[in-house]
Amino acid sequence: MIRIERRLEQPRWLTVVVPVVSIAFAFLLATLVLLATHHPPLHTFARLFQAAFIDNGALTETLVSATPLAFTGLCAAVAFRMNLFNIGGEGQLYAGAITGAAVALLVGGAPSPVVIVAMILAGAAGGALLAAIPGVLRAFFSTSEIITSLMLNYVVALIIDYLIFGSHSYLRDSSGFQASVFPQGKTLPDSATWPSWTIHGLVIPLGALVAVAVAAAVWFLYARTRFGFEVQVIGDSARAGRYAGMRTRRKIVAVMCLSGAIAGLGGASQDGDFRHQLDPRGLIQANYGYAGIVVAALARYNPFAVLLVAFLLGGLQNAGYTLQGADFPNGLVGVLQGLLLFCVLGGELFIRYRVRIERRHATATEPA
Amino acid sequence: MNDALLVVVIAQGIAYGTPLLYGALGELLAERSGVLNLGVEGMMLVGAVMGFWAVQRFHATTSVALLAAVGVAALAGAAIAAIHAFLVITLRANQIVSGLAITIFAGIAGLSSYLGNDLDLATSPARHQFQEVFPSSWQDLPVVGPIIFGQSILVYASWVCVVLVGLYLSRTRLGLNVRAVGDSPAAADAMGLNVSAYRYAHTLVGGAFAGVAGATFSLSITPQWIAGLTAGAGWIAIALVVFSFWRPTLCLVGAYLFGAFSYLPFALQARDYSWAPPPELSQSLPYLMTIVALVLVSSRAARLRFGAPAALGRPYVREER
Amino acid sequence: MHALLGENGAGKTTLSNILTGLYHPDEGDIRLWGEHVEFHSPRDALEAGVAMVHQHFRLVEPFTVAENIVLGDHRDVGRTFLLHTRAIERRVADLSERYGLAVEPRARIWQLSVGEQQRVEIVKALYKEARILILDEPTAVLTPQESRQLFGTIRAMAEDGRTIIFISHKLHEVKAIADRVTILRRGRTVATLAAAEAQRRSLAALMVGREVELVERRSGPRDLGGTCLELDRLSADGDRGLPAVKDVSLGVRSGEIVAIAGVAGNGQRELAEAVAGIRTPTSGAIHVGGRKLKGGDAREAISAGIAYVPEDRLGTGVAPGLSVADNVVLKSYRRPPASRGPFLVLSKIRELAESLMHRYDVRASGPDVPARQLSGGNLQKVVLAREFSGEPVALVAASPTRGLDVAGIQTVHAYLREAAERGVGVLLISEDLDEIRALADRIAVMYEGAVVGERDGETATVEELGLLMAGGE
Repeated sequence: MIRIERRLEQPRWLTVVVPVVSIAFAFLLATLVLLATHHPPLHTFARLFQAAFIDNGALTETLVSATPLAFTGLCAAVAFRMNLFNIGGEGQLYAGAITGAAVALLVGGAPSPVVIVAMILAGAAGGALLAAIPGVLRAFFSTSEIITSLMLNYVVALIIDYLIFGSHSYLRDSSGFQASVFPQGKTLPDSATWPSWTIHGLVIPLGALVAVAVAAAVWFLYARTRFGFEVQVIGDSARAGRYAGMRTRRKIVAVMCLSGAIAGLGGASQDGDFRHQLDPRGLIQANYGYAGIVVAALARYNPFAVLLVAFLLGGLQNAGYTLQGADFPNGLVGVLQGLLLFCVLGGELFIRYRVRIERRHATATEPA
Repeated sequence: MNDALLVVVIAQGIAYGTPLLYGALGELLAERSGVLNLGVEGMMLVGAVMGFWAVQRFHATTSVALLAAVGVAALAGAAIAAIHAFLVITLRANQIVSGLAITIFAGIAGLSSYLGNDLDLATSPARHQFQEVFPSSWQDLPVVGPIIFGQSILVYASWVCVVLVGLYLSRTRLGLNVRAVGDSPAAADAMGLNVSAYRYAHTLVGGAFAGVAGATFSLSITPQWIAGLTAGAGWIAIALVVFSFWRPTLCLVGAYLFGAFSYLPFALQARDYSWAPPPELSQSLPYLMTIVALVLVSSRAARLRFGAPAALGRPYVREER
Repeated sequence: MHALLGENGAGKTTLSNILTGLYHPDEGDIRLWGEHVEFHSPRDALEAGVAMVHQHFRLVEPFTVAENIVLGDHRDVGRTFLLHTRAIERRVADLSERYGLAVEPRARIWQLSVGEQQRVEIVKALYKEARILILDEPTAVLTPQESRQLFGTIRAMAEDGRTIIFISHKLHEVKAIADRVTILRRGRTVATLAAAEAQRRSLAALMVGREVELVERRSGPRDLGGTCLELDRLSADGDRGLPAVKDVSLGVRSGEIVAIAGVAGNGQRELAEAVAGIRTPTSGAIHVGGRKLKGGDAREAISAGIAYVPEDRLGTGVAPGLSVADNVVLKSYRRPPASRGPFLVLSKIRELAESLMHRYDVRASGPDVPARQLSGGNLQKVVLAREFSGEPVALVAASPTRGLDVAGIQTVHAYLREAAERGVGVLLISEDLDEIRALADRIAVMYEGAVVGERDGETATVEELGLLMAGGE
């Protein structure tokens, strides 16, 4: 007989031990998956770890994967904290990439810092505008933001396809023969290339620093300001928020816009830091938005933890790309991410609840 | 006559809408018991890959191999759904996050691709696939030929499923119990119903439906294994459940409507209409329509009349009312 | 007929949940007609003939009465795979006729009044052929007249050979109906005695564990100030979009306690919410201290000086997952000292929380404890502390003592009186006539959204109030 009871007090050590055990358990399950499909588990994990963090240049590549995950992770964390399930980070990132690239092409002649700031602002605005749609619908028509934000991901993916493959838009490269056979985005001007810094061979892109700054700003906003206080109250109990005279609707729209803006920043960073053109295939294949939700959930919506988890999962993703090939199981990265999330989600039960196992007796039951 | 745009679009809309219909019926059953499962896309993909695998590996006559493949796909979908059920029913995890985890675990960058790659399925076309059932003379009948008689057995089976699920929910004792569990688990519990058992059963059956939906792609529509071949159909299936106010017959209408819209660009392209809108526009219509439908459904009056199962998305814990 | 008497939190409901198989006992055993039984689920209990009418009804709202009654049944008409709706409806009609419990089998639950819903619950138990029927605080939602009718039904069932366990914390009910009384205190059986021999005062002492004053009426006339809260032909819709408050006009003077009596669900909650700005009035006006509110704006109501103690403590009155400190500044976080400009001043918030916790004797290990972990009484102290710290002009208190133990009730009553003495106009909404008669200067009775009568707090009798609550003038 298993009984699950709510804990009256949550010992502090549990909040450390449970996640560690959960992660270990996830790797144990992954081991079973690998064994079942005849892959050597230890060897595979070792290769993953090496390709992610050890090999020459691996950390630089890991940062390339981790930067967008940090943005989409923060995007999800900001909204989920208020029980707003914005799963449109994917589309909001595309939107930011579109507006970022468009602005870079428009003002490309200006000095580089001006172009970069314009791209950052445009990216944030693009993401925020897209996220405002589910936000407004949720606030004023109580339409579930889950499905609407998700549907918009597909719509924006189609728009980005249309801009590059389906039309002769401003963003499409139309010079030369090759560009007409293999459509692609216009190469952005040099002034739109975001700077990076190299420390002992590790290349740190501007986007990564922006992500750290955003995380710090989000933390401050939520922990130290009236706005953050209201978000916390409404997230915990919307009725309590209304009771206290908070403007719940405005706050829903504001938080959705903030969340979308952060994902849009990630899109602009894709343009400026890494791709230097509007790259539909690359963006859509990367699935940064959905992975960002995993990052946020694993980080339990704490902005600084989001950075850490984004770095670790970025490493995993980077290793996945590097090792892609006949002898390395494709899709292992998603499986591992899923298992990690399952185990951490399931593990939360043990923080909030106590599980007691009792034996059934014919007569009296002894206290366990 | 049978080449008329409208006839072709309706006939193909039914074919393309069928996986949506299976997925939506499954999600509807789970939601009626109070479990929101956002992992439909992932379950579909695993169903698709396992169904395809079965057809490639079972050496049997076409009908036996296909039947086995559908069975394997259903089992695979149910197995993935079992993870969600365990997490949200027994471990009381957040249903939204858990459903997303299912999609990531099983989806395009996860288990379905892992299996597709590992079982080496990506290179070959299906050894067997679903074909039209009726003789070609029937299929040549005007209008009804392509629309009614030009479909595969999966389409006819889905009609049977719609009727069965509808009758099950409205006319049977078990259906009454499920609706009680989804609407007021406390009342159901007090009347001696096992809330967890009902929720497990319907989440698993829902997963099986999603698995069959996936097999519809890999064995009938595509028909081969391509990573991520469902292309978001799972999400549309979830939206359809809301779109149809949790009613199986409306699911059918919605699924065919969406199917028709996703086929429309191909039909227009094939005909070389000079006025054809960009395919991206008609492809995005189902998504935009879903958003509009959701806004309409979320009006107060509609919610009161057709509202979602009241306990949808909430774990039931006896001690915490 | 056996009464289970005890104050809130004494373990009455937990005990009966064990009897119906919802909870499992840690130790000890249950004997039914001398035989040991072990219930692993409500189904076991139902099969053994034990049924319960819960305080919060266990009914499926969109279902019909007949569907609710047959739910989970596996005998007779409930056994078949297909539902035979007609047959079920006929059975239910027969049963309700036999016991004089008028229910319409085809009506949907959400269309029924609370009293009718209770009858459905009782018919449900009869349908299950329950030999032991547990009623958890059944009169809490009824008018005195309806309660008397219920007692008649209970007696008829007992004469039929059924055992009734009647849970209550109201002494006069227990005296009126029970053969024997068992008193629980803090989860333990204190005594079992024959109801006829027991004195009310001694029962109360056993229940609380010390001598208590039963009903203390505030004595002496006080000076009342001018009208501080005035409602002028106020109307508002309920959650279903139907009119819930109809043309209510009412004035509360500074220092006065005006009570609104009525059976739950007659528009009291909606009225309170409209006054507090959480619900938008459809017509009429609210004046606070001479200032007219535009209505439907909680922030405006708060700044005009309306304090509100909501019926739903955990969830509306406090945000359960947030700390006590956060909840203390739930309304004052916009102003200094809790915030400076857009920024919070955490040290000041903490100080404020600590001083209020000290002044209102909130028992918690510190201001950082999540509100959810506090007991009901301490939670209500947090709410009151916060509401009084805003120096209100008028206070709306909706069922402020529901679910509290005797000590908690006395504390809340003391705070309400103290507030009135300081010149706050108090609008008390309660279903408990004893509470109302102990506190109120004036009593207005609401029935179906309208005020159907006003009485003086000193002289009103339970009889006439009950009649008004039932809609009869």
